[in-house]
Amino acid sequence: MIVNESVLSLGISLLALFMAGFLATRINQSLTAVFIIVGMILQNFFPVTIITEFIATLGIIFMLFVFGLEFSFTNVFNNQKKIFYSGCYDFLFNFPVGLFIGWLIGYDLIQSLTLAGILYVTSSVIVAKSIIDLKRSANPETEYVLNILLFEDMFIAAFLAFIVGIANYGYFDTRAAFFVMLKTAAFFAFYITASITSKKFIDKIVGINHTELFVILILSIIVLSAGAASQIGLSEAIGAFLAGLLLSETRQKQKILETIKPFQQFSTAIFFVTFGMAIDYKHAGNMLPMGVLLFLISSFSKVYCGYFIGEKYRLSKKAGLRLGFSLIPRGEFSIILAGTIAMNHTMPYSLKSLTGIYVLLSAVVGSILVNKSDWIIKRIVEKEGQGVQ
Amino acid sequence: MSEVKECDLPGIGKKFTLELNSNDKLVVVIHSSGEREVFKFIEDGEEPVSVTKLTDEEAHQIGAILAGTYFQPVLEEEQKLELKNVTMEWIKITPDSNLANKKIEEVDIRKMTGVSITTIIRGETVIPNPRSSETLQPQDTIIIIGNNEQIKNFISTFEIKHRLEK
Repeated sequence: MIVNESVLSLGISLLALFMAGFLATRINQSLTAVFIIVGMILQNFFPVTIITEFIATLGIIFMLFVFGLEFSFTNVFNNQKKIFYSGCYDFLFNFPVGLFIGWLIGYDLIQSLTLAGILYVTSSVIVAKSIIDLKRSANPETEYVLNILLFEDMFIAAFLAFIVGIANYGYFDTRAAFFVMLKTAAFFAFYITASITSKKFIDKIVGINHTELFVILILSIIVLSAGAASQIGLSEAIGAFLAGLLLSETRQKQKILETIKPFQQFSTAIFFVTFGMAIDYKHAGNMLPMGVLLFLISSFSKVYCGYFIGEKYRLSKKAGLRLGFSLIPRGEFSIILAGTIAMNHTMPYSLKSLTGIYVLLSAVVGSILVNKSDWIIKRIVEKEGQGVQ
Repeated sequence: MSEVKECDLPGIGKKFTLELNSNDKLVVVIHSSGEREVFKFIEDGEEPVSVTKLTDEEAHQIGAILAGTYFQPVLEEEQKLELKNVTMEWIKITPDSNLANKKIEEVDIRKMTGVSITTIIRGETVIPNPRSSETLQPQDTIIIIGNNEQIKNFISTFEIKHRLEK
């Protein structure tokens, strides 16, 4: 019974996604935000079933896999100093914000850490797209923006593994933290050793020519790796991410990407819809001010951080501010963090709903801010100029 | 030659910055997708004044045009040999030339024009560093070396008509 109903509701969801997405691309809005809104509307018509939830889980897995596959170690090694320093400034400015607010509104340590991650991590998808759309790839601040994104992505991958490990453990103390960190490190080390020592072997295995078998083989590597991670108490997402890393050095990389992309696009869209369906917006009246407040504080800290990095690296005031504005939009990773952590619903602010509202604001208003940043920055710089006179 | 600054743009591609003699800056961004973008910055400006998008194929075409392999200006060959104002010239000795059937010491080329004969090409044989007692024969090709002044001097003194293109 549940299967039949699910097929129909899945079809309706997909059609709604298409129509909303089509409109969104017309007005140049982020698909992530639109998909979440579609989910919020659809929750009035049918419930989330175990099947959509399963597809949503696959969505996270595939998204992290593609992300691992496209990750380039060479880039990291070549620019490690720049990435490390600008990444650390960004972390020190923006990570504590969520931790502090979480503590203020009565979250426990695990939830506060999750909120810190949600407020900290910028949306690589939205920002990379806006850099290309706004023709900013040659601007002086852009390399800093991209290096920071790289650092954030690396950090959040490790953070995700850690925080899910802790959440599965049930409570947070020094022993738990140590144990989970050890487990995470061992898991990472296993994949990194495998990718270094068995490069030729892996290349040979995925070098299979049969198209159908190739798809099945790659899917099995991804899902098995995710399952193994989940079995030892880490997040499925991190298993998939490491599988992506493992295959990123093979000659088949491009072919793997093309094969998995359709699965990823489909299941990730369903993941965002499912997330939207879980946002209890009818009872979120008291959460809207909180979401707006989070958005304002975290945007301000990003802009200020960009300005600070700009000063540090002798960029002009305009370039520094533009660097900060570019980092405002949050998106996919914040949602993954909130979606992966099973939350205690008796909290004054349900983390899922709060994140939903926050990411919607940040993705939609944040993108507008990025697009209009030149205009805003001109105002700021002019005003300061007048102040000096 | 001005210095080319290279820089990785993780997730996008690679950026090359060229400071031009005019103080303007040209920035080329090569996207991982193969697409190129060429930006022009004026003086110390931070926003580009122009952006040109090129496909991989277009970029190759433009590159060939700029490198001079698409259309070769006449100047090119002569300039190739110009090493700090020193030029080499290939000269064909015609039967009616002032130099035909003369010994090198006889015409005293170096003293009169400052030019040295580095090589004589006679049919299939090549005589590098010929002695001054060597006789220049009709149909020989000689390779001479000297600065621009000396070469001009040589050409006018001996009324050379057959400078070779090679």
